[in-house]
Amino acid sequence: MSLLKLKNIYRIYRIGQVDVRALNGVDLLVEKNEYLSVMGPSGSGKSTLMNIIGCLDTPTRGSYELDGISIHKENHEKSETANDDQLAYIRNRKIGFIFQTFNLLPRMTALHNVELPLIYAGVPRHERIERAKLALENVQLADRMYHKPNELSGGQRQRVAVARALINEPSIILADEPTGNLDSKTSNDIMELIGELHRQGNTIIVVTHEADIAARANRVIHMLDGKINEDNKKK
Amino acid sequence: MFNQLYESLIISFKAVFQNKGRAFLTMLGIIIGILSVSLMGTAINGIDNVFNETLGMFGKDVLYLQQFPWFMGNAEWWEFRNRPRIEEEYAAKILERSSTISYASVETNRRVTLSYGDKSSEGVDLKCAGWQSAYIDAARIEAGRYFSQSEDEHLARVIVIGSEVKRLLFPNVEDPVGLDIKVNGLSFRIIGVFAEQGKVFGMFSVDNMAVIPYQTSKAVFGRSWWLSVSLKIHDNANKGYALDEVRYITRGLRGLRPTDPDNFAINQQEAMEDELKRIKSAIGFVGIGIAALSLLVGGIGIMNIMFVSVKERTQEIGIRKALGAKRWVIMAQFLLEAVIIAVIGGSIGLLLTTLLVGVVKKFFVASLSLELVLIALLVSVAVGIVSGIVPANQASRQDPIEAMRYE
Repeated sequence: MSLLKLKNIYRIYRIGQVDVRALNGVDLLVEKNEYLSVMGPSGSGKSTLMNIIGCLDTPTRGSYELDGISIHKENHEKSETANDDQLAYIRNRKIGFIFQTFNLLPRMTALHNVELPLIYAGVPRHERIERAKLALENVQLADRMYHKPNELSGGQRQRVAVARALINEPSIILADEPTGNLDSKTSNDIMELIGELHRQGNTIIVVTHEADIAARANRVIHMLDGKINEDNKKK
Repeated sequence: MFNQLYESLIISFKAVFQNKGRAFLTMLGIIIGILSVSLMGTAINGIDNVFNETLGMFGKDVLYLQQFPWFMGNAEWWEFRNRPRIEEEYAAKILERSSTISYASVETNRRVTLSYGDKSSEGVDLKCAGWQSAYIDAARIEAGRYFSQSEDEHLARVIVIGSEVKRLLFPNVEDPVGLDIKVNGLSFRIIGVFAEQGKVFGMFSVDNMAVIPYQTSKAVFGRSWWLSVSLKIHDNANKGYALDEVRYITRGLRGLRPTDPDNFAINQQEAMEDELKRIKSAIGFVGIGIAALSLLVGGIGIMNIMFVSVKERTQEIGIRKALGAKRWVIMAQFLLEAVIIAVIGGSIGLLLTTLLVGVVKKFFVASLSLELVLIALLVSVAVGIVSGIVPANQASRQDPIEAMRYE
C-alpha cells in the first residue's frame, strides 16, 4: 500500500475575477522509504503540492490519503475534508517539515524549538527534554542546545530544524528548498544528513530547483503549469 | 492537555515580560479601575461596620420623641428651632395612655468636666436619664450596676461611667466602682462601668460619657431645655402601630388640630438605617460608574495591545500551527496573555488600595475584606478574557501558510 495517494488533485485560487489553477489534476503515489524530489520553475505548483501533502492546505478537488488516513475525499460532487484540528494533529504526528527559511522560533533555545512538536503531542516534560536532547545530539548539536537561533550559523539552524522534523517520528519528511539559504558547503552537509535519514528508512520529499540537489533522490518529478509532466525513477 | 496549557502559560508570561513597558502602560486602565472598585468597596465596608456598631448603641425597638428630627435640611432648621419644648411629664403620660409602650424615660445631655484626684476630663457627655432607661438603652454594663428607681427618686449622687472615662481617669485602677469622682466639682459615687461601644463613624468615641439619674441632675444642675423621651416598644407590639399611637398621643398632649402639622419628631434607628442606605448607594453608584469606565478603557487598551501582539507574532503562530498546535492552544496562549496583563494590573490596583487604606484608616473608616480582593481579581480575569477573546480568536484562525510567510 502506498504511503501517499493523490488522485486528480486540483487547487484553484480565486484572485479577483480570475481562477488560478495552481494544481491542475495531479496524480501521485509515493511508497514507503522513497526519496523523491520535486522540480519545476516558479509558478509550476510545486509549493502548492508541498502544502497539500503537508496538510497545510487542502485541495479544491480530488482525493488525498496519507498513511491510510483520508485527508480529502471526493465522490459524486460531495467532498469531505479533515477540519483544522484534525489537520493539526496529522501535521504533528505524520509530517516533519524542513523549510528554506528554517522557521525556528527566534526567542527560544534550540532545545525548546525541537521540543515544540512534542509539546503539541502532549508528551510529558521530562520525556520531552530527553528526546529533544537525543535528537540534537544526532545532528551533532549537543553543544548548541541552549543557544538561540540568532546565535547559530545557517547550517546549524537547519540542523535544528531537521532535529525538530524528526522528533515525532513522522511518516514523511517534507523539505521545501532546504538549502536555499545556505552556502554550497553547508548545503552539501545538510543534503548528506537528509540522505542519511533516507538510509535509516525515512520517506523524504524534497522540493528544489537545483538539479544537483534533485539528483540525490531516487525519483525526480518535474512539474509544469500545475501538472506533473515527467516522473523519472532511478533503477 | 494540561501539559499544553502549562506551556501556553509560560509562553504568555514570557510574552508579557518581554514587553514590560508596553504591558505596564496597558495595565494602567485596569489598575485605576480595580483601584476604584476596591476603594469603593472598602469605603462601603467601612461605613457598614461603623454603622452596625453605631446602630447597636440605639435600641432597636425604641422611639425617640424629640424636638428635632435626626435628618433634616438646612432650610428647616429655624422652623424646628421654634417648636415647643419636649416636657418631662410626656414620658409618664404617653406610658399611661399607650398600649404599645412598655417603658418611657426622659433624658437630657450636658457637657461636664469629670475629675478624680489630679486627673480630669473635659467635655464629657453626661446623660441624665430616668431610671426606666435601664430597660430601654442598649448599652451593656461591664462592672457594677445601673442605678435603681429609688436612687432616681431620692436624688442619689450615683454615676455610671463609660469605658473611655475609666481609661482617662483611672489608668491604674482595676475596678473604680465604689470610688467618688467629681462632676463639675460635685462628688458622685461610681456604681457601674459601661462596656466599650466603639466610635461613631470610627472617629468620635461614644465611650467618653457617663450617666446619672435624671431627678438627681435636675436637683443638682437645674432644669434643662432640651429634653428627649425614649420609648420602649412592647415586645409583641407592632412597630408601625406604636409609632402612630405615640404620634397621636403627643398631638393630643400638644392640643394640635387635625390640620396642624406635627411640631415634634419621632426618631428611630430605622431612620438612620435608611439614611445609611442612601449614602451607601450614592457611593456605590459613583464608584461603580468610575470603575466601569476605567475598566472599559483598560479593557480596550488590552484588546488593542493584543491585536498588536498577534500581528507581531503572526509568523510564530504560523510555525506553531505547522508543527501541530491546535486552534485552542493558540487561543489559550493569547487569551492567557491578556488575562495575565489584566490580573497583574488588578493586583497592582489592589496593592495600591491596601497602601491607601493603611493611610486613610488613620482618618476615616475603611476596611479591605478578602471577599473584595477576590471580587477584584475575578473582575480582572473577566476583563482579560473579554478583551482578549477577539484577538485570540483571530490568532487561532490564521492560515499557517500565510502566517509563516508574514514578515
